[in-house]
Amino acid sequence: MKYRNLSIWKNIDKPLLVMYLLLSIIGYFIMYSSTFKGFNLDDDFWSSSYGKQLIWILVTFFMGCFILLLDGSFIKNTAYLTYGFVILLLVIVLLMPPIKGARSWFYFSSFSIQPSEFIKLTLSLSLAKLLSDVGSRFQEFRTKLKASVMIIIPALLIAVQPDPGTMLVFACFVFVLYREGLSGNFLLIGLFTVLIAVVGIFLKASNSVFYLAGNAISGNIFFGLILILGFVFSFLIIRYFVLPRYRKQKIQRLIIITLLGLSISGGINYVYDSVFSERHRTRFQIMFGIKEDRKGAGYNIYQALSAVGSGETLGKGYLKGTLSNDKYKHVPEQNTDFIFCVLAEEWGFLGSFVFILLYLTTLIRMIMIAERQRSKFTRIYGYCVSGILFFHFMINIAMVIGLAPVIGIPLPFFSKGGSAILSFGLMIFILLRLDSERKVVLR
Amino acid sequence: MDPFKNRQWVIILIIISVGLIFSLRLFYIQVVNSDWSDRASQISLKSENIQPPRGFIYDRNNQLLVGAETIYDIYIHPSIIKPKDSSAICKLFNLSNKEFLEILKNASSGYNVPYKPSVFIESMTQKEHAKISPYLGQIPSVFAKSKIDRGYPNPIAAHLLGYIRRIDENQFENKKNQGDFFYTKNDFIGITGLEKQYELLLRGERGNINYLKDYAGNKVETINKTPPKPGLSLYTTLDIELQSLGEKLMSNKIGSIVAIEPSTGEVLAIVSAPNYNPSRLTGRDFSNNFKVLKRNDSLKPLINRPVYNDKYRPGSIFKLVQALIALDDGVISPETGFSCNKNIIGCHNHEKPVNLTKAIKHSCNPYFFQVYKRLIMKDNSKNVFQTSREGLKIWEQKIKTFGFGNPLGIDLPEEKSGFIPDVDFYDKWYGKKRWAFSTIYSNSIGEGEIGVSPIQMANLASIIANRGHYYTPHVIKKIADTNMLNQFQIKHSTCVDKKHFEVVVKAMNEVVNKGTGRNARIDSIEVCGKTGTVENKTFNDHSVFISFAPMVNPQIAIAVYVEYGTWGSKWAAPIASLMMESFIKGTLSEKSVEKVNKISQAVILNPNTDFK
Repeated sequence: MKYRNLSIWKNIDKPLLVMYLLLSIIGYFIMYSSTFKGFNLDDDFWSSSYGKQLIWILVTFFMGCFILLLDGSFIKNTAYLTYGFVILLLVIVLLMPPIKGARSWFYFSSFSIQPSEFIKLTLSLSLAKLLSDVGSRFQEFRTKLKASVMIIIPALLIAVQPDPGTMLVFACFVFVLYREGLSGNFLLIGLFTVLIAVVGIFLKASNSVFYLAGNAISGNIFFGLILILGFVFSFLIIRYFVLPRYRKQKIQRLIIITLLGLSISGGINYVYDSVFSERHRTRFQIMFGIKEDRKGAGYNIYQALSAVGSGETLGKGYLKGTLSNDKYKHVPEQNTDFIFCVLAEEWGFLGSFVFILLYLTTLIRMIMIAERQRSKFTRIYGYCVSGILFFHFMINIAMVIGLAPVIGIPLPFFSKGGSAILSFGLMIFILLRLDSERKVVLR
Repeated sequence: MDPFKNRQWVIILIIISVGLIFSLRLFYIQVVNSDWSDRASQISLKSENIQPPRGFIYDRNNQLLVGAETIYDIYIHPSIIKPKDSSAICKLFNLSNKEFLEILKNASSGYNVPYKPSVFIESMTQKEHAKISPYLGQIPSVFAKSKIDRGYPNPIAAHLLGYIRRIDENQFENKKNQGDFFYTKNDFIGITGLEKQYELLLRGERGNINYLKDYAGNKVETINKTPPKPGLSLYTTLDIELQSLGEKLMSNKIGSIVAIEPSTGEVLAIVSAPNYNPSRLTGRDFSNNFKVLKRNDSLKPLINRPVYNDKYRPGSIFKLVQALIALDDGVISPETGFSCNKNIIGCHNHEKPVNLTKAIKHSCNPYFFQVYKRLIMKDNSKNVFQTSREGLKIWEQKIKTFGFGNPLGIDLPEEKSGFIPDVDFYDKWYGKKRWAFSTIYSNSIGEGEIGVSPIQMANLASIIANRGHYYTPHVIKKIADTNMLNQFQIKHSTCVDKKHFEVVVKAMNEVVNKGTGRNARIDSIEVCGKTGTVENKTFNDHSVFISFAPMVNPQIAIAVYVEYGTWGSKWAAPIASLMMESFIKGTLSEKSVEKVNKISQAVILNPNTDFK
């Protein structure tokens, strides 16, 4: 036992630990600033939102230390159990009364728990376990199916809440699967899907109408026609220019891609009209610059961009933000989804750039950690954590700086919210623990 | 070996490119482009004007005429109304449920938003506020905010003080075009009287505050502040006691009183009747009261008659001017006598006008017909038309040196010029060579085409009191710490030599002691005066009296004009007498107090004549 304990401290990855601590500390100070209303001794620190946040961070550190004492194999062996437990919570939470229109929280007297934050952790562990089991080979269809089901079940449960932001994060597992041997075509198909989706949504949002032989047809049908025309054209090219022995394969792929394009395009048509509410449609219209609505749906993003822009090069100084600060509240949700505004406003471009560098370094460090493992379990898990954090970072910042429509999603280590702080912290601690055993065991 | 190990680079590349895109985007928003920074300033900064308090107005003894009154706007804050509040609000303000919902709707629509308080009762008086203030503390969603309005501790001299009202679109544009950017559309501006005349001094200078606001527009932190400069105080020449007495005497009558201190030209009292309480044109009731005063009252109480009405014919008081010019011209001497020939022009029965003193004492019309004839037709060898022309030309110029026919230049915006007919006028009226003395003789006794404002009449009294000169009548003595304006220190002389005045002064003393103006006598003070009875075809004649006292070193000169007052000595003379007694003695005798009450209760109105 003595040797094992020593080996943890000796083998723990110090750069990642330092980066994690840095992000946590910076995150806490930014969060403090976002809820800062001026020094007031009468305030009860521990019942204020920054006091609670500090409690959560301390709890995370405490639990992290506890995890470092656990055996890695214990973590691996209980992966399915914890996964099942959180899935159960996700089902039960749907029976809770909705808060702000979503059934995402368990409410206790002084705090609340959001199980969807924890499913990311348990899903990562169980996915890693599934793919690293000796019996399973990724090339087998069974394995792929199992993995897909494992991802899709929580995704669907979260979609029902509804919490589209968190659901979107599940797409990050494509990266993990890609690393484990999923065909690169999936990434390309993903890209293709995004492209078609963007064009499709744009056409819907702008209500474009095309004229064909004097008949007015909606943009989406026109887009479908273009896809079919492209198919016919490509088919003719293959028919005449490709060697006969490759022809069948190429035509198969062409058919698949075209059908995919058509179904995505049609799906978007349906989703846009029937699933999206007017609020969502307006958000897309604002993002594409079709509609300007400073006072209504475009309010958040207009205020957020103003706050970010007003930071200029060097920022206004800590606690001195005049838009995103809680005293002024010009930026809504400034301590949760829009917390990056506080950093950008108070620390300017310089601070924002350092923040991005730190985040990227952390993400890449985790990939490097994953890559150095002999244990497949740890590697997959490392990719999962890196992917999840990357997606949170990407979606959140893109939203705040106006590159994506407004999607509610927290910025890890920064946003207010105990569940997220705990969940992301534990992810890192588990990775540190597993990594520290890299020389000891081969799993 | 792991065949997919190189795929880590694809993933790392994707992560780095996202970081790069974000950095470039942030660089553009934060460093390159300043649009968002400007928008942020628009969102968070607010600049607000601070209203300077308007200057106060005092009387000659530093008693407050126009001050400040605190009034209250009641605000409602819809987003924090609790269910139990609404019934309390309804009860407190006597609102029905429907009215309350209407108020809530107004407070949440248009310019108002529910998360910001807005006014729902404007300009509550201190009294009304005192009634509700104990209960306001219990309802956090309703509160009162004080503001300053004009207050009138002594509700007198409404016409002199004038009123202010919210600037209208035209005035706003005019001021802007004149390069005056002081006003905002919510500001008040002086419309009449001193409020208009001294608007630039009274309004003060605006202050400014820049502050950071929160999402609801509330002030959070002040960045910088320029305090406003309050408007300057005006010290008028008015005497509150005298003015109040004048207004009391003129109640239920139409007309004017103007009292001047002859040695300085300071206006001691300036009464326009009918008058109104100046506080009626303030606060919430302004528009209602204004409508009543302006449109619904046939007596036109808003008009400042002493300076604005220049269509008054002066009547017999004009004989004094005729006498002075004639003496100066040498066409008569104090001993000149004429017969009282009622065939030429009407007169009453009195002793023979064997000299000027007697003529003035009894206000003999035929006497002054003759005097005027000598003034106009000097050269009998010439053709009557020609000599009348020349005579009138000289006469008109001389008359004007007494301050007639042109505005005197009093510091009130409403002053009009009056009218002295000249050659051109008659040429137009009758045609060239179609008029002569015989056409225009009514001028001799102050009838005919002559138009004089009450301030000009008082100025005439002042000229005679001064024996030949006057200072422009004015109502401002001091502005803040600066003394009277220079233009009011210039001595204006008439064309008549000083030595000729003594005869007229004596005669005026006779008028009061033994003549037509006996009603104006005051115990132990030598009063000089002259009555006037101005013909009026539709109703009773108008009653006029000008006067000054004491005879030596006069302290006060006064003109009283009571429309439809029947004859000069009936109403105007006693009113003038009481005013002078009060001013010189400081008090009124018991008998005089009785007289004041009697006069103030007398109703002298013409029911069927419109104001001209």
